[in-house]
This record gives sequence, structure tokens and C-alpha cells, in this order.
Amino acid sequence: MHIIEFIFSPLLALLIGVFFLGLARKVMARIQWRYGPPVMQPLIDIIRLLSQKSASHGVAFNIGLVMSLAGSLVITLFLPFGKIAPMSNSGGMLVILYLMLIGPLGMAISSGESANPNASIGISRKLLLAMGYELPFLLVVLALMKAYNTTSITEIVSLQRDTGWSMFTFPLVLSGIAYLLILPAMLGVRPFEVVNAPQEISSGPLVEYGGPYLALATLQHALALFIGISLFVNLMWGGAANPVIFFLKMLVVFFLGIFVNAVFPRLRIDQAIRYLWRWPSLIAFAGLILVCVTGS
Amino acid sequence: MTGMEILLLVAFGGVMLTYILGRISSSLRNTFAVVLSLVLVVIIALMYDKTGETIFYRGFFGIPMVLRINSLSWIFAMTISFIGCLSVIFSLDYMKVKERTSFFYAMLLLVNSSMMGIVLAGDLLTLFIFWEIMSWSTFLLISYNGGPAIAAGMKYIVMSFAGSMAMLAGIISIFTAFGTLQISEIAAGMSSASSGFKIFIVIVFGIAFGVKNAIWPFHAWLPQAHAEAPSPFSAVLSGVLIKMGVFGFILTMYVVVGLGTYMSLGGAIFSVRSILLVMGAITILVPTFVALLQDDAKKLLAWSTIAQAGYIMLGIAYGTSLSMAGGVLHFLSHVVFKSLLFMTVGAVEFRTGGIRDLNSLGGLIKKMPFAFTGTLIGVCGLIGVPLTNGFVSKWLIYKSLIFGSPLLTFVALFGTWGTVLYSYKLIHNIFLGQLPEKLKDVENTPLSMKLPMIILSFTVLLFGILPGLPLRVINKIVVSLGFDSLNISLWGIVSESGMLNMINLFAAILAGLIAVWLFLRIGARTIPVKQDDNYAAGAAVPRDRYNYTVKFYDPLLRMISPYLRDIFDTFYMKIADLTGYLSNGIRKIYTGYVGNYVMYIVLFISLMIFVQMKWSPW
Amino acid sequence: MVNPVLLIAVPLGLAFMVPLIDSASRKLTRFVPVAALLFNLILCIRLIPAVLENPIVINLGGFTPPFGINLFVGPLGLLFAGLISLAGLVVSIYSLSYIKNGPVVKYHMLYMLLLTGATGVVLTGDLFNLFVFFEILCISSYALVAYHGDRAGIESSIKYLIQGTVGSGLLLIGIGFIYGIFGTLNMADIAMKIATVEQSTLFVPMILMVAGLGVESAIFPLNAWLPDAHSSAPSSISAILSGIAIEVGLYAVARIVFTVFGISDIYLFFAFLGILTLLIGEMCAFAQSNIKRMLAYSSIGQIGLILFALALATNNTVTGGLFQLVNHTFSKGLLFLSAGYMIYRSGSMEISSLNGMGKRMPLTSLAFTVGAFSLVGLPPFAGFPGKFLIVSGALLKGEMVINILVGLVLLSTVIEGTYFFRVIQALYFKDGNGEQRKQAPATAVTAMIALMILIVALGVYPKFLADFLSSASSDLLDKMSYVGSVLK
Repeated sequence: MHIIEFIFSPLLALLIGVFFLGLARKVMARIQWRYGPPVMQPLIDIIRLLSQKSASHGVAFNIGLVMSLAGSLVITLFLPFGKIAPMSNSGGMLVILYLMLIGPLGMAISSGESANPNASIGISRKLLLAMGYELPFLLVVLALMKAYNTTSITEIVSLQRDTGWSMFTFPLVLSGIAYLLILPAMLGVRPFEVVNAPQEISSGPLVEYGGPYLALATLQHALALFIGISLFVNLMWGGAANPVIFFLKMLVVFFLGIFVNAVFPRLRIDQAIRYLWRWPSLIAFAGLILVCVTGS
Repeated sequence: MTGMEILLLVAFGGVMLTYILGRISSSLRNTFAVVLSLVLVVIIALMYDKTGETIFYRGFFGIPMVLRINSLSWIFAMTISFIGCLSVIFSLDYMKVKERTSFFYAMLLLVNSSMMGIVLAGDLLTLFIFWEIMSWSTFLLISYNGGPAIAAGMKYIVMSFAGSMAMLAGIISIFTAFGTLQISEIAAGMSSASSGFKIFIVIVFGIAFGVKNAIWPFHAWLPQAHAEAPSPFSAVLSGVLIKMGVFGFILTMYVVVGLGTYMSLGGAIFSVRSILLVMGAITILVPTFVALLQDDAKKLLAWSTIAQAGYIMLGIAYGTSLSMAGGVLHFLSHVVFKSLLFMTVGAVEFRTGGIRDLNSLGGLIKKMPFAFTGTLIGVCGLIGVPLTNGFVSKWLIYKSLIFGSPLLTFVALFGTWGTVLYSYKLIHNIFLGQLPEKLKDVENTPLSMKLPMIILSFTVLLFGILPGLPLRVINKIVVSLGFDSLNISLWGIVSESGMLNMINLFAAILAGLIAVWLFLRIGARTIPVKQDDNYAAGAAVPRDRYNYTVKFYDPLLRMISPYLRDIFDTFYMKIADLTGYLSNGIRKIYTGYVGNYVMYIVLFISLMIFVQMKWSPW
Repeated sequence: MVNPVLLIAVPLGLAFMVPLIDSASRKLTRFVPVAALLFNLILCIRLIPAVLENPIVINLGGFTPPFGINLFVGPLGLLFAGLISLAGLVVSIYSLSYIKNGPVVKYHMLYMLLLTGATGVVLTGDLFNLFVFFEILCISSYALVAYHGDRAGIESSIKYLIQGTVGSGLLLIGIGFIYGIFGTLNMADIAMKIATVEQSTLFVPMILMVAGLGVESAIFPLNAWLPDAHSSAPSSISAILSGIAIEVGLYAVARIVFTVFGISDIYLFFAFLGILTLLIGEMCAFAQSNIKRMLAYSSIGQIGLILFALALATNNTVTGGLFQLVNHTFSKGLLFLSAGYMIYRSGSMEISSLNGMGKRMPLTSLAFTVGAFSLVGLPPFAGFPGKFLIVSGALLKGEMVINILVGLVLLSTVIEGTYFFRVIQALYFKDGNGEQRKQAPATAVTAMIALMILIVALGVYPKFLADFLSSASSDLLDKMSYVGSVLK
């Protein structure tokens, strides 16, 4: 049973992530009054890309990418999906926070090695954006951990079963709002789509990828989407006891993200940071203070 | 004669012999220096798990001078000798092109020997004597390169000297109050001392150790000093030397003042503990962002050193067994990865002919893959990526702080993101991107530099995957300082608020890596291409200009740089200027006109007589 | 038992023999001071065991005190006499090759007279005799300052002469007052009778004598001659002036204040004066760009520190002060001697002209470094034990005022460190003009190495001197035993 979970949960995550990618294109197309590609198009693309030859820029180019995807896969073992969380007893939220570094860092090393300034600009923006949303995000996470007095994500989920969704329990309301405000940035959708910006810096970090590399990069993107949404659902919307409900909750969050993506134009990176460090951070800070005051 | 006496005798005797041998033959000297530092590592390793005290000298006015060994001094001594040995090996090639190498080696070994003296000192007098020897020998080494190093050395020695004078005041106050300087005996006296006296002791020692440990606001000397010192010594400086401040803090807070007293010292809000914690947090936050502004690779690492000292400070000052273990472990981690980073940057500096400017490097991964790997591992440790030693130590610190003071935890966690940013800037601007034309002929890292890098990289990963190895020794320290014992296994730690199991994490990541690698293998073959075979929207790749390194994080820096002025550095420089002005004014008393001089004599007498007649104080 | 009178008689006699010896053999002249001071040194060492048991009192001409003139050879006097002969010996070895041009015969003669005067001051037990020896010391140093015969030398010599003469005049008036009051000039006798007289009547003679001696001992604000004189004298003479002359002055002040008057109300005033001298000296040195002036001001600072230590008048602080005094003689001597040859090589006294000296004259630079480190008080050199004793003695008094003064002492140490470290950096780490390496002559190097060994030995094993200094300090502080041993 346990072994199956170990293999099953990363695969499920990949599947859902890729599905979301396809769905995103479809929904966006419909919003824009187009027909759009089939939902399974990303999966087809990945399989096609794997069969194409491509250029490799060096060892770090390969290793960085592998590292990035592997790191993201490991996170899925820690995140409860419904009740499936095979590695939740090896470390809690802190480990997840740090594992979340591996993905961007691996990508950064890999695309840095590709020696294209577009990639470097993209990475620079990616890291700055992360810096921008980590400030409120960390405040939110700390408020949660303080409020539930645990660092284990499974415990946070199970405690929400008694108290209701964190987002709607008293001291965590502010944190919930702040999290909602930064969610688009964490998912990398517009108005925060500064990293890949195809029209501006030729897809940024992805500029030199082709063939199997692009396939891996797409998978990494899909996983990042999955992790971002899953984390939000687990922390704020009470997770779920069974995988189906959990998936439905994820779908709701995903649609919220897509709508935002469809409506807003892209911000510049400095505007993005300014936004993230202003209201979301202030609200998250107030939330943390609130938790500290009411908790003690 | 005990092991400790032999150790110091070998260490200090070796310093002299190294210099003398250097006059005869440089290869003989190099061999001797390496052998000597290896011997020191072995001697200290043999002392593992010993405790003891011995009076080794009474020549100083009969005050007994004591050496003592326990787990705290052992772990510090081991680190000192280990890094010292590696830096000597690293110097073999690095120093080949420089002059006055005998002086360099002798001073490097002297710094190491005096640091061993510090950690083995069993009384404050011995500690102070070795402390001062360390200070002045460090000063000589920092100034070694001349040019900008002169100002750096000056700043270092003045601040350090002011710190040691504060420490001297503290030591002598203790001596006059209790009549002894033996650390084991002071503790008994301190427990009955008034709290004002305790606070005085904490303040003066805090200044002395704070300067050495570069805790905000005493950090001003460090960036320049680290940047301008010769790279093998920067590794020692950043890795070990400033950690003498950590040693001093532990000694003062938990041995001299005592755990119980320390936790309750001072008022409710302005307690010593909370002030230290806040200083630690500021030390993390500000220098992390200042590091982002730096364009000099070694300066960037130097600011990062200050920031990491803040993490150690948080761990040590918080005062629970978990945080203490975290603080000491982070000291160990920082020693390893920061020395590694200074060495890799030093290797780059060595091979490129002294370039440290991050804006004019790039693409060196093709030329120096070894240094790149070292830097990558070091940077991962610095950030605290899981499976590196930095992760475990930071995890312990966060874990202990998280429920008690979420705000401090927030600062520490947020500092990690700053760390990611400047670490990536470092590795990207040196190794990634396009190789500039002028660096086409750079050679690979020489062997003597590879060896320390391999050992240190290995240690980063070893302690990251099996943190139980260092934590076992650290647990002994924690217990000996009066804390509860920790529940430690070879691969992790179990605490009441959650556990860490690195071996599971290791297995999972390894499995993930293999899976993804296989997946990549399944795909079509890839063709290696040249570095400048790039996408340039159809245009030809512009040679030597197709790079993005200058102003890497400009959008952010434009926002934050107005807030990052180093007010304390300015303040210290102001004081220095003021002293200059004042001295120049006072100098004018001596006008050079003999009439004035005679007048001074007459005035002196008349003043005395006037005072006597008017108030007759006598 | 050897007679301590020889300590004064031999150099005095030989000093006047110098012209005769010179006419007999030119080469021999230079060795006369070496021989005389070596003799003195051996004599001092042989006297140590006896003196430690009981001070030796010699009645000159067979008259017993208070009628005759007596010599008092206590531990303190012997310490100074030994120090004078040791420093004198080292400097005379240095001078063998350093003094080549100019009136060599007169140099050696005056040099020996200077040291004779100094030895006389520290050994005599009679106020007027003290004045006479003091004049010998001063007049020979006036002449020696002008040894080079250049404009600066003569100018500062004249300045020194004027101020010194004013000082001597004041001293003489003070002695006159004392004679008028007590009808005796024997120090022990006066000390015994001092309680019989109203304190206020003693004030004027005391302040006159302190001011008069204070000029020579460089106490602020009476020390204005010192920077000029020290910087324009030949370096060997600067070493003696700084290491011996002003300290002998300080001895005289201490002897008169502690032993003759022995009124403790005024000690705190001297402590303040010491701190003031210390701070002003160090700050002036900080502002200097001329190496010899810097060293001269640093001497003022050190004198201030020693005065502070002596004025606290406990056994600990006086021992510390004397330790610091010994250290100052050695290290300041070493600094002046090494600076002398560096200046000789570079031809300028500006600190910037010493850039890169570490490569050109490694041993001389090393000597300078050791001297500087020792003076600043860094272990393992001799300055550290001295500073340790002074500070611990001062803190042991446990008075708030004194604690604050100790803080100022530590602060001034930082200032002192700053300007010395600056010079050391210039020596080793700044690029010089790329001249070839050329060491100082063997005699100079011998002298410097001897001083370095002494400094390191004292720093590593301070206990060696501690017992002797401790009895010297009780010699200074214990007025009654002084009186008792003279007036048996």
C-alpha cells in the first residue's frame, strides 16, 4: 500500500498538472472566443518532444533540469492529496518550504548554463518575483503554523476538519486574504507572467530548450502549478478526506487563477514586487500579529 | 605534559620552524607546513571525548594559566585545525606567484595556533593572550596584499582592538571581584554577583565577541577585510576566525554567566536575551540585502558571512537545547560551506589573474568545471537546500524559534530568499552565461585547490545526509551547558514538535533524480553544442556582448538600495574623523614658540597656587 | 661587598678621561662608554641580593645623616640604576657605528655625564645633591640635543635649555624654601619632620619642586620641550632621553611626593594629571606624520600612564607602573633605535618615506614592530603584563572615579594602537621606492636584538621581574622604613 502511494502520488500530480495545462489553454481560448486545442494537447506535445533531437548546452544544463523536476516530484510526496501523503512523517512544512527551492534553483542553473541572456533575464525575474511573493507567503505560513501550533502539514489539514477552513476561522482570515492575493504570483499567471513572457524575452528561461528538455521543462511547469494549488487547498481550504473532493477544490482554485489570468494585463517586474510587498504583505503581517496576540 | 600542551607546543613551534625553513627552501617549507597542519588535525582528533584541565604556566605573576578540553573546545579546535590544514594546502598553488610567502605561511599558522589556544584556554587570561595574538597576526595577514587592504586592515585592527580593550576591562573586573580567572571557578562567583555586574560583564564581552563575530552594529570591519585578504586566508577568516566570537558568546552566556541567569538577565522587555535576538535578526536581514548590492565576489561572500553569523546568533541566544544545537551546527555548516566558497572564488581569482568583479566574469563553467561544482554545492549549503548541512542546521534553528517568536523566524526564513538571490548572482555571473573573450585561455583549477574543494564539498553533503555525525558531539556540548539532551539518530532528530529524517529524504530525492534521468534517457538523443550556439532571434550572436550580468537584480535594487545605507560604518568613520580633527586641534597646544611654553609652566604654578589659596583643598 | 659609590664614580671619572683616551688612541674612544656601563650593569646585578635584604646607605665623607650627604641604594634606586646602565649599554653599543661624524669625543663624554647624572639622581638621599645631579643630566642633554649642529637641533636645544632652566630655577627655589623651613636637606630627615609643620606652609615649596621636576619628567603642561628635543636629537640620544631622562625625572617627582612629603590628599590630583598627560600625548601622536615626533608624543603619553599608576599608590599599581616604565625604556629605546637607521636610510622623518621598509631593512622593521606591539600592550610582549597590573590594581581600588579613568586609559590605548599599526602597515604593506635590501650595521642590529629578546622575555615570563618590582614599590610607598634605614 505504502509503496504504491510512493509511485502513485507523483504520477497523479504530473497527470493533474498536465491536465491543468491543457485545460488552461482550452479555457483561455473559450474566454477569448476561440475554439482552442484539445485538453490532452500538452500530453501529446510532451510525447512528441521526447522523440525529437535537441541541443544540449552542457552537463549542468542537463543536471539542473533533472534536479529541478526531481525536487518537485519529491514535494508531491509530502503534500497530502486527500489522505495520500506518503512522506508526511519525515518532515513538515519547513521541509516543504525548502524543497520548493530546488525547483527554481535547478531551472536557474540549467538555463543559466544555456548562456542566453534572455534566459538570464527570465531567471532574474523569476527569483525577484519569488522574493516578492515569499515575503507575504512566509508570513501567512508562519501565522498558520503558529495558530495550529504545529509544523506538520497533515496535522494542519486534520485540525481544519474540526475548526473549519482556515480561511474562514477567526484569527486566520487576514492570512487567508493575503494568500489569495498572492496566489496568482505563486502560480505564475498574469498579471505576474513576467518570467516566461514569450513576446518579450522569448519565453525567458525556456529559450534554449528543445526536444526532451522542453518536455521535462513542461512537466516541471505542470508540477509547479499542481504544487501551488495543492498547497493552497491544503493550508487554507481544509484539504480533503478523499482525493475526489480534493481534486474538485483544486479545480475551483485553478479556475479562479485562470480568470485572473484572462482579465489582467502583465505587470512589469518592479510593479509586481511593489504590489506584492504592499497590500498582501501588510495584510499578512497584520494576520500574523493577530494570531500572535490572540494565541497567547 | 598533557596532549594540549604538546599540541600548542607543536603548533607554535611549527610557526617558527616554518619561517626558518622558508629561508632555506620554499618547497621544504611547503611540505613542512602541510605536514604540520595534518599533524595538528591528528592530535586533536585523538583528543576526542576527553575532558580535563591542566595548569601549564605560572610565570605570569603567579596567576595559574590553565588549559582545558571538553566537547565544546574539541569541536572548535577540530574545525580550526581542519580548515587550517585545507587552507594551507590551498595556498600551495595560490601563493606561488606572490612574494613573502614565508611570512604568509608563518602568519597563517600563527593565526591557527592562537585560535587553538583560545578554544583550549581554561582561564580568561590565557584566552585574552591568545586572543590578542590572533588579533594582531590577523591584522598582518589582512593587510598582506597592500593597496586597498591597508584601509581594510586598519579598520579591522582598530575595531578589534577596541573590542579587546573592552574584554580586558571585563576580565580584570572579574579578576578583582573573584580573585580568580579560571573559567570553572568564575561560574561559582558569578552566581552570587549583583545583576548590574553581570550585565556589565555581558556588555563588555558582548562588544569584544560581537566585533569579532561581526554582529550588527559591530560588523563594519568585516566586508573589506574579507574581500581584501588573500583568499586562502579569507576562508579561514570567514570560516573559523569570526567564529571565535561564537565561542566567546557561548562561553560568556552559558559558562561564565550561566544558563539560568542568562535567561532571566535584565528587565522584562529589554532583557539581554531579547536584545541579542533582535541584534541577530537585524544581522540576518540587512546584510543579506546589502550582499545583493555587491559586485565584488568576495565582498558578496563577506556580507553573506555577516548574515550567516546572524543565524548562528539567533540559535545561540535563544537558549533552548534545540536552538543551541542548531546554532552550533550552523557554525559547523557555515565553516564548511563558506570556506568552500571562498576557496572556489579564490581559485577563479587565481586563474583569471585577480578578477573578482562579478560584472566582468561569466561562462567559466566550461573552463573550471571543478570550481563550479564546488561553488554549486557550497551555494546549496548556504541556501540550505535539503541534503546539505545548511539545511539541517537552519531547520533546527527555525524549529526552535517558530512557536516562541514567529517574527524572528520570519526574518530568518525571508533571509533565506535573499540568500537564494545573491547566491545565484554569484554562481551565474562567474560560471554561467557567456564566456568573455579575454577569459578564453583560463586553465582548470590546480590540484592543490581541487583537493580542499573535494573534501569540503563531500563534508557539506555528508553532514547534510547524516546530520547525526556532528549532532552527537553537539549534543554533548548542549548537555554540558546545562540543557536537556536531544534525541538524535544518525540521520535525523526527533523533537516534540516534529521530526526530521534525512535518510528518507535522501532516498526520495535520489529516486526522483534517477527516475527523471531515466525519463530523459528514454527521449531522443541530444547533441552537445558550443556555448555561443544560441538563439538570437535569427540574428548572429553578438560576440562577447551576448550576456546579462551587470545589474542582475536592478529592479529590486533600485527599490531597496536607499534603505541600505550602512549608518554604523558611517558613524565609525565619523568618529575616526572626529578623533583626527580633535587630535589636530590638541596638537596646536605645542605652538613651537618658546615664550608660550614658559608661560605654560608659570601658568601651571599660578593656577595651583590660586586654587590652593582660594579653596585650600589641601 | 662592592661599594655602590662606584656606580657614580666610575662613569664620572671615565667621562673626564675620554679626551685623554682619545688622544692616546682614536679607536678606543668609542668603547669607553660601553666599558663603563658594562661595569655598572655588572655592579648593579651583584648588588641585587644584598639590596633586596636591606637597603644600603652610604654616608659620603663619613658624616652621618642628617649632617652628611648620603646615598640610598634601595630596590627602587637599584632598579633605576640597573635600567640606566642596561639601556645605556645597549645604546652605547648602537652608537659605536651610529655616531660617526661630528664631535665624537664630546658625544661620548656628554653621554656618560648624562648617565652619571641620571644614576646620581636615583641614588642620592640628599635634596641638594639631587639638584646637582639633575643639572648634570639636564645640561649634558641640552648639549646632546644639538649634537648635529643643524638649525633644528640648535633651535630645539635652546628651547629645551630655556624651559629646563626655568624648571631648575623653580626646583632650586623650592629646595631653598625647604631648607628655610627645616634647616636640613636630607630627604629622610625632612620626611621625618614633615608632620611637625603646618600643611599649608608646605604647599608652595612642594608645588615649586613638582613643577621644576615636572619639566624634565614631561608632565603636562610642562612638557613642551620634549617633542622638539626628541625629534631633533640623534636617535641614540632620543632613546636615552625618552627611555631614561624623563623617567628619572618621574622618579624624582615620585620620591619627593611620596617619600619626602608623603601627603596622600594630593595623589588623586596626580592621577588626573597623569590621565590628562596620557590623553594629550596620545592624541598629539595620533596627529603626527613625523615618525620621531610621533614617538616623542607617545613618550608623553606613556609617562602619563606611569604617573597615573604611581599616583594610585597601591602596591599593585606602583608595581604595574614600574613594570610599564621598564617596558617603556626598552620598547621606546628599541623604537627610536630602529627608527634611527630607517631614517638614516630614507633620509626623511616622514612616515610616508618609510613605506616598504620591511623589504629594505627586514630586521630593523621587525624591531620596530616588536617595540610598537610591546608599547601598545599586546601579548606576548612586555607591555601587556604592565598594563594588566596597572588596570587590575586600579580596578581593585573599587572607586568609581578611578574606574572611569581606567576606561580612559583603555581608550587611549586604542588611539595608541591606531597610530602604531598605521606605521607598521607602512613598513610592510605599502610599496616603497624599490631600493635594495641593506641591513643596519652589526652593532646596531646587536643592540636591537638584545632589546627584542628582553621585551619578549619579560612578556613571556613577567614573574622574573615581579618580585623585584614589588619590593621596589614598597621602597617607594613605605616612607617609614626609608626614614628608618637612613637615620639608624
